[in-house]
Amino acid sequence: MSESDLDLSDAEEETPHAEMKKLDIQGKAAEASSSSKKPIIIIVIGMAGSGKTTLMHRLVAHVQESGKRGYVLNLDPAVTNLPYGANIDIRDTVKYKNVMKEYGLGPNGGILTSLNLFATKFDEVVGLVEKRAPELDYVLVDTPGQIEIFTWSASGAIITEAFASTFPTVVTYVVDTPRSTSPVTFMSNMLYACGILYKTRLPLMLAFNKTDITQHQFAVEWMEDFEKFQDAVESDKSYNANLSRSLCLVLDEFYQNLRKVGVSAISGAGMKEFFETVDACGQDYMQNYRVELEQRRKDKEQREEERKRVNLEKLERDIAESKGEPVVLASASKKDVLGEDADAADVAEEEEIYDSDVSGEVDDDDDNEDEKHYRY
Amino acid sequence: MPRYAQLVIGPAGSGKSTYCHNLYQHCQSVGRVIHIVNLDPAAETFRYPVSVDIRELISLEDVMEELKLGPNGGLVYCMEYLEENLDDWLSEQLEDYIDDDYLVFDCPGQIELYSHIPVLRTFVDQLKKWDFAVCAVYMLDSQFASDVTKYISGCMASLSAMIQLEVPHVNVLTKMDLLPSKSNVDKFLDPDARLLLGELNDQMAPRFQKLNKALAELVDDYSMVSFLPLDIRDEESIQYLLSHIDNAIQFGEDAEVKIKDYDADMGESEDAGNFDMGGEDED
Repeated sequence: MSESDLDLSDAEEETPHAEMKKLDIQGKAAEASSSSKKPIIIIVIGMAGSGKTTLMHRLVAHVQESGKRGYVLNLDPAVTNLPYGANIDIRDTVKYKNVMKEYGLGPNGGILTSLNLFATKFDEVVGLVEKRAPELDYVLVDTPGQIEIFTWSASGAIITEAFASTFPTVVTYVVDTPRSTSPVTFMSNMLYACGILYKTRLPLMLAFNKTDITQHQFAVEWMEDFEKFQDAVESDKSYNANLSRSLCLVLDEFYQNLRKVGVSAISGAGMKEFFETVDACGQDYMQNYRVELEQRRKDKEQREEERKRVNLEKLERDIAESKGEPVVLASASKKDVLGEDADAADVAEEEEIYDSDVSGEVDDDDDNEDEKHYRY
Repeated sequence: MPRYAQLVIGPAGSGKSTYCHNLYQHCQSVGRVIHIVNLDPAAETFRYPVSVDIRELISLEDVMEELKLGPNGGLVYCMEYLEENLDDWLSEQLEDYIDDDYLVFDCPGQIELYSHIPVLRTFVDQLKKWDFAVCAVYMLDSQFASDVTKYISGCMASLSAMIQLEVPHVNVLTKMDLLPSKSNVDKFLDPDARLLLGELNDQMAPRFQKLNKALAELVDDYSMVSFLPLDIRDEESIQYLLSHIDNAIQFGEDAEVKIKDYDADMGESEDAGNFDMGGEDED
């Protein structure tokens, strides 16, 4: 297990996954990247319809065109036409429609379960990214269309943690600018973003999308001038004035802790600023989130140790009980793999479908890396 | 005399439909009549008897198939379709429910429906116009309130939906029965602002201290931000929650007013300051 002494300017962390150790990825990676920077993971989150996938498309194209080195992950199992090529695509590993059919799930259940399944394999994904880390500047991650499937699920948390405990990770919250021009809708959106900040405990940046339709200047003004925003809110609705004032105060503090940028996925505006902001957040992570990082790694290690200890005890108990007769061991449940984060209800599901529905490995699409060209 | 409505909202998987089912059973056992309305076009099966179902108007499956939309686009389409048909279809469906009737609306999970798209707000406004007393009941899975930052996150998510709807609301921490240890969550049910602040400052980087303070004060000043526990195996837990909601929409109070009015008409003035009507079921 890795030591608690962290020098983040140095190379690779150990991967906890046993298989990866066997491949000696760790050894190779350590050699290759002893003095290189880590890539920044950009997790793109937003309400359905805010333009995440279109923005991803634009970001991927920009990365290519500007000579930066990027890696792309798609975590949306239900998307039919992905406009960009992904290096790792959840749809290669988990078939959403099959999951729905076989387990009699509705569309939400299907997406959630697909993500849960993928999360059980996520150590492999992190391993793949680590392997390529020396050659990468950014890793772009597209999340499922419905924001709650990522932000309010065990698998979303697991995936975020898996990245955050290994790489500088930044959360980009995509805002549907034209739809946020009403003060109360804006406030609602910002409160939700604040919730994401507390949940992920990672640097958060707002990407005001669709600036080709509506400039985001109003948002910047509201964020920089507390009185203006408050007046706007109070004139919008006959609202409980005290509550709205308290909320505005909360938001005012919230804005001090995040960066913002206006972009248009369609026109390509704001790309330079977007990546400058990402870089600033990445720095932020390295300088200010190190304590967080250490704690997360410690937590992860502790959980691993605990899980091993529990499993060992179980084994010993089983052996004692069976008094030397052959023992049928319980199959690895998701809880064992993922610890207390696993949603109890999902555990039962996972046990049944773990083997049959998930194809053996997470694929890393080598061929796609170099060749994608993007048309608009 | 108004009709009463609970609007059950919250993230997918938080336990909305299960709550509706258990609430229905509970009400049956205590002799109360409630009617459940399904507003989720993506719902599949129900364990509770559905009095009104949006799928009779439009269903996600049909929309996705016919219009070739994905699950999100499809859902938004369904809800916007409902919005356009509020006046005809919904009012017709609700005609059968008269004064004093109590309806529970099982809503779809997507938060987009409460923040960006005005449909649920329009829906609520329409209900109010039809003289419904509405309470929003926001459900959150207690397993996601395991530590203070997640709890705050839950409060924010709830608030972001609540401020759009502008009706009385009650927050519920569901699946308390699934928690390995209740003690972790207990402190969030009746939060002590100072303790909360201390823990937030521990967990978050120093630059967040001012924000933590603002949030702790928010939780302290507004009980609407706090959560009620729900253990669906426990009848008392369900009743406690129900009483809170009833109180929020003043269910049960009008009945008494009627009697008092009658007495007043007969020449006896009974109403001197006697305002603690309702809430007699509260613990």
